[in-house]
Amino acid sequence: MWAIRGRVVALSDDRSVAPSESAVFTGRVWIDDDGRVAAVTRSTRPGPARFDGCPVVDVGSSLVLPGLIDLHNHLAYDTLPLWTEPSQAVPFAHHDSWPRARTYAASTTWPAYAFITASPHELLAYVETKAIVGGTTSVQGSPPMNRPRDGWLVREIDDESFGTGDRNKVLASVLTAKPADLADRANRMRAGSLFVYHCAEGQPGSLVAREYTDAESAGCLQPRFVAVHATAVDAAGFARWADPGAVVWSPFSNLWLYGVTTDVPAARDAGLAVCLGADWAPSGSKNVLGELKAARLAADHAGWNLSDEDLVRMVTCVPGDVLARGWGRQTGRLQPGALADVLVLRAERGADPFASVVAATEEDVDLVVIDGVARYGTPALTAAAGAPDLTALTVGSRDMRLSLTHPDDGTTPWGWDDVVDRLEAVRADPQAEITAAQARAAAWAGSMSDEGAPLRLALDMPTGVGPVGGLPRDLGTIVVPPLESLMPDDAWLAQVVGRGFHEGVLDGLRAYY
Amino acid sequence: MTTTDPRDARVRRLLAEAVTATTLADVPAAAHLDGGERLQVVDTFVTVLGGLYSHLPAKRAAYASDPVQGLTLLRRRAVDLTDAEFHLALTGILTGLRDAHTRYVGPVAARGQVATLPFLIEAHGPDHEPHFLVTKVGPGATTDRSFAPGVEVLAWNGVPIARAVEVHADRETGGRPDARRSRALESLTFRALDYGPPPDEHWVVVEYRTRRGATRETRFDWTVVAPGRAETAVSRATRAALKVAVDPAADAVRRAKKLTFVPELWATEDEAEPAAPPPPPLPRASTTRAGVARAGGAAPSGRLPTGNAGGVGTDWIPTPLQDVLAARALDADHGLLRLWSFDVGDDAAYLDEMTRLLGLLPAGGVVVDLRGNPGGLVWAAERALQLFTDHPVVPTRFSLVATPLTRLMAASPFNRLELEAWNGSLQDAVSTGEQYAQPLPLTDPAWCNDRGRVYPGPAVAVVDPNTYSSGDLFAAGWVDNDVGPLVAVGQATGGGGANVWTLSQVRDALAGTERALPPMPAGTSLTVAVRRTIRSGRGDGIPVEDLGIAGVPYDMTRDDLLRDNVDLQAFCLGLLRAG
Repeated sequence: MWAIRGRVVALSDDRSVAPSESAVFTGRVWIDDDGRVAAVTRSTRPGPARFDGCPVVDVGSSLVLPGLIDLHNHLAYDTLPLWTEPSQAVPFAHHDSWPRARTYAASTTWPAYAFITASPHELLAYVETKAIVGGTTSVQGSPPMNRPRDGWLVREIDDESFGTGDRNKVLASVLTAKPADLADRANRMRAGSLFVYHCAEGQPGSLVAREYTDAESAGCLQPRFVAVHATAVDAAGFARWADPGAVVWSPFSNLWLYGVTTDVPAARDAGLAVCLGADWAPSGSKNVLGELKAARLAADHAGWNLSDEDLVRMVTCVPGDVLARGWGRQTGRLQPGALADVLVLRAERGADPFASVVAATEEDVDLVVIDGVARYGTPALTAAAGAPDLTALTVGSRDMRLSLTHPDDGTTPWGWDDVVDRLEAVRADPQAEITAAQARAAAWAGSMSDEGAPLRLALDMPTGVGPVGGLPRDLGTIVVPPLESLMPDDAWLAQVVGRGFHEGVLDGLRAYY
Repeated sequence: MTTTDPRDARVRRLLAEAVTATTLADVPAAAHLDGGERLQVVDTFVTVLGGLYSHLPAKRAAYASDPVQGLTLLRRRAVDLTDAEFHLALTGILTGLRDAHTRYVGPVAARGQVATLPFLIEAHGPDHEPHFLVTKVGPGATTDRSFAPGVEVLAWNGVPIARAVEVHADRETGGRPDARRSRALESLTFRALDYGPPPDEHWVVVEYRTRRGATRETRFDWTVVAPGRAETAVSRATRAALKVAVDPAADAVRRAKKLTFVPELWATEDEAEPAAPPPPPLPRASTTRAGVARAGGAAPSGRLPTGNAGGVGTDWIPTPLQDVLAARALDADHGLLRLWSFDVGDDAAYLDEMTRLLGLLPAGGVVVDLRGNPGGLVWAAERALQLFTDHPVVPTRFSLVATPLTRLMAASPFNRLELEAWNGSLQDAVSTGEQYAQPLPLTDPAWCNDRGRVYPGPAVAVVDPNTYSSGDLFAAGWVDNDVGPLVAVGQATGGGGANVWTLSQVRDALAGTERALPPMPAGTSLTVAVRRTIRSGRGDGIPVEDLGIAGVPYDMTRDDLLRDNVDLQAFCLGLLRAG
């Protein structure tokens, strides 16, 4: 049991916590041993009696808010740089267009394959760290794996079972589903699952708009349906979603590939929960903290009336409420009974809290708590919070600490340098590393779902145009690019300018860093 | 071979170590399977054969039998059988498919062993009137000095030899009678113990006619050897292993022949430098006539390739890929390229070496001999075709049988790279009623044409019923892409038209699905034809399985068997000269 004291942005709909969801107050968040928030108290009011004498980590004027939720990602690809097809002169039409690009498979599928095959643990450690340094506590888009696990560093939304082993709480599909499969999903949603579906991703009027009508015909337009992108859906389409679910908005990726993005005002007008997702690294933000800025730029460019608070809600309480429909547990809000996923962001005293969140960078992330345990932060705060198994890493200009353990047992401390060194070894000789990994996998005689089985990941994005079998005949031709930095740096920001189809909208990102 | 040469000592040690039993009585008994374990085996086979076996519709039609029903019936009585009866029943069901790709791997005490007799029998003459000659005798095989290459075999354990071959053929794979007989003849003296029970008889009495016309008998005991695999062979734990088309039993036998008849070459195959010429393994008379490996190294497989009678080009060109390739000049204008196998892990290295060897041969024409080639890496076979032709090479195509199990497998996220290309048509088959998924190449068409022609002259390929699997594919590509004439000893190639997977590969592909397979007891396993081959180009749409690839018919002669294929080569050179 412990507590955090600071400027609390609770976003709570529990009126015992605050009179409104927008209220920001100095107070304390009381975190119980079961990984839940026990109470949120204002000013110096005491917490629950059983917390008497427990440690209180005082973060001063820093903001204490729910951990950020990234409701759309593809983690297997998040070591990769931004990608563009050199021969593509006009925005892509839809999600089946860019996988046909000449450089697509070699730039995305093949290097990602090298990592998922040869260093799956290290890949997950790296990409989850990339999420957590941006304050993310839950991220969607974990690669399919042979023995999925509950949150190890960051909560992987697709696999989270809260110890029950039930992997059907959240279903996902990146690829276009057939009507019969959608109908099955409709029934699974009726039975309680959440379904995160890439839907109608492309230009308005393009053929992928049919994916939305197919989903509609199948009965998917329910509260537990999460339509990712839906850029080809118009206001009338959203209005037909009478029992509204959610749309995930990924403005960076949309603008990068298509030059257009989701009609967010129309979706909101239809009562849909609009959430943010960083999408994958080849066409997306580093994490959802970065996506907040892309959303700000996109909204301002479009002239939409979206406040900073609106945007912050898109990465906290709105997706938290959506997840609660599948998880049966609240996150994204700091209130009694909610999951104790907490973010501490450095902010100037008196600064507008929501504007501060939108403007914050990884340099402002001081502490991240997941399931009640401090997992990342400054040396001082992680020490004060009793974070276990710390390893040092540099994020931007700061020396930070990460709670990292070997995933095999979840208890043996793991060094960040070991993670990076292993990935670099794979980069140095993908062919040899892939071959060796295949041999290790083949040597396993037991069931692939056994605890001790080699971890096996799968790619979830389109594989692209290539030979049957998906890979080059000569694995020696696979080139794995350098690992992308954990936060936007000059090199990454330079990649943004003049590339993709955002027509300068995203050039403004540099101003934040 | 001197006693002080360390290399020779190593060779002797390796050869000694390769012999694991000198009589069948010394072969350790296989592990016992209790009733529950037998049901595990049968249930797995029902799942795999019923849901994945790519030739099941064809085999049901061709042989008027249903292996799945056979397994279902076996399940009812499995517990009541002895171990031997159970394994025999299971082997019988799978052998009844007549498919060398799809085999039961029983619970033997050690893997990779081959029961051998120290001689080889080959047939010549037409199918209806075959003659059986001893063509090779291993060093130290017998004290019977008259038992030598060239003697004619008359009877096998008292059964007239032709009848003995026919009876044994009934227990062999092979879609056509001639293919079965061909395999039966081979397995009279070599049996891969992974894929079938050991011989019932612990020794064999051979009645034969000596060269002087006398009739004699001599007795041989079976010996068991572990021939291993060459270091250049495809590794079972690589991506390429999913692109294999091979008769695994025949490949083991090929290796055992090499060990038996050219042991020095077998023992030195992993040396960096090509083997120095070993002492001729044949008795003097045959060697003298054939001129084995006079300068450049021995023949690299169980079959002994010897120079032609003309005395030109009897030198084999040294090659580091001696387990799979060999080449020499036949005369001043023509060359011979022997493709023993496509069992290589690195198809690029295979093609590099083929290119080098072809460059050293006379440019007036080449005989590409792939008789007895049991297959191997599909990529190696199909990419090799381009070296002989200016025509664009179109590869064969492969498809999965459309079943709920293959749909499940193809839709698994873990199989996306390997099977995604087939997924759409498999799912569509539910409504189209198609029995198979869309046929697609395993070898990308671009890879089949990325090197271009290397050998400038005309080429003729030679096959026989033991040319199998990737050997079938090579022959199909040879014909369908108009590379050159194809000479077929016997009726056609062996007719192994599929990409074959091991059970562990199948388990891997089904992992994470609702039909995941449990581990098998006591190391039991199977190999199975997963993707059916369909010809392209001129033969577009025709399956390879059982049919094989026919060519210009040729019957082996006595001189072919005893004088290094002299008539066959003359026949081929005639075709080359005829243009």
